[in-house]
Amino acid sequence: MVDLHHDHNHEQDHGDHDRAAAGIGTGDYVPGYFEMLEMSIGELLVERGLIGAAEIRRQIEVLDSRTPALGAKVVARAWIDSEFKKRLLANGRAACEELGISFYDDTGLIVLENTDNVHNLIVCTLCSCYPRPVLGLPPDWYKLKPYRARAVTEPRAVLAEFGTIIPDDVEVRVSDSTAQVRFLVLPKRPKGSENFGEKQLAALVTRDAMIGVVPVELS
Amino acid sequence: MPDKHELLTRLPTEFGGLEAGPIERVEHELEPWEKRCHALADVLDFHKIINTEEKRRGVEALGAELIGKLTYYERWIVAFSNILFQKGILAPDDVARKMQEVATRLGVNTAEHAHANDCSKSMPS
Repeated sequence: MVDLHHDHNHEQDHGDHDRAAAGIGTGDYVPGYFEMLEMSIGELLVERGLIGAAEIRRQIEVLDSRTPALGAKVVARAWIDSEFKKRLLANGRAACEELGISFYDDTGLIVLENTDNVHNLIVCTLCSCYPRPVLGLPPDWYKLKPYRARAVTEPRAVLAEFGTIIPDDVEVRVSDSTAQVRFLVLPKRPKGSENFGEKQLAALVTRDAMIGVVPVELS
Repeated sequence: MPDKHELLTRLPTEFGGLEAGPIERVEHELEPWEKRCHALADVLDFHKIINTEEKRRGVEALGAELIGKLTYYERWIVAFSNILFQKGILAPDDVARKMQEVATRLGVNTAEHAHANDCSKSMPS
């Protein structure tokens, strides 16, 4: 049907995409069908006053401002402040908001604590629900079939593919996200980090550790 | 019979528990249009024009073949078009005209993209 410009070399195309997005014509870049559809839908909705052009731009800025560094800040605080951790486990969203992390959507957040006895893993089997306000957008592998299909039935095998071996006496819990409720894993604080300050701790915490596919390790 | 039962009870996007290959740890920086598409989804949700559940059902309604062939944000934008048509918020002709206008503005060879307009007119609703 339609020639998919996705198949092109992304590296090479990128600059042209930026120029095209800015409305500057380029000699060789041809926006694909779906990009033109997106532009058309957006412009029509703006012209009809259903959405504001500035709203899209503002939301792009919001999306750009969300990175795993926010989640890492939450995790580090929970490691050093047991009262905060209690509040975080009781109401993830409220505790994140306490740290100035706003939720731009209507989602709730449940924080799952990894312990010596339990290892948590998050997935969305139905689509790609993810704690975006605290982690940003999910990686592609989180949205693709192999992870979504297998995480719920063979989580230990999935974890092993990430190099994470969970001992048999540790329970693995998989939480399947929904449109309304998202999950975030509170990883175990690594041994040897006892003297680390909050910022040093936060620097250890990776996105994948908060999805639950890897532990937090001293770098 | 088990196959039919599976088709009846499983949505095309419902992958949980299916057999699948190894996990390839792929990721990519969103292209500018993909990011705009994501922002559009959020704004549509804020305005209660299309919420997250409607978006997911819109993608499911594309059917397994299209879901398999389109990329993530291609599915989203096609689902948004269909939902907006169904809700009577936009008409397929409006989108076809606008796409022509966008193509002209960006200097896209319209003959090359003529099929695009036909496509949006015949989008399943």
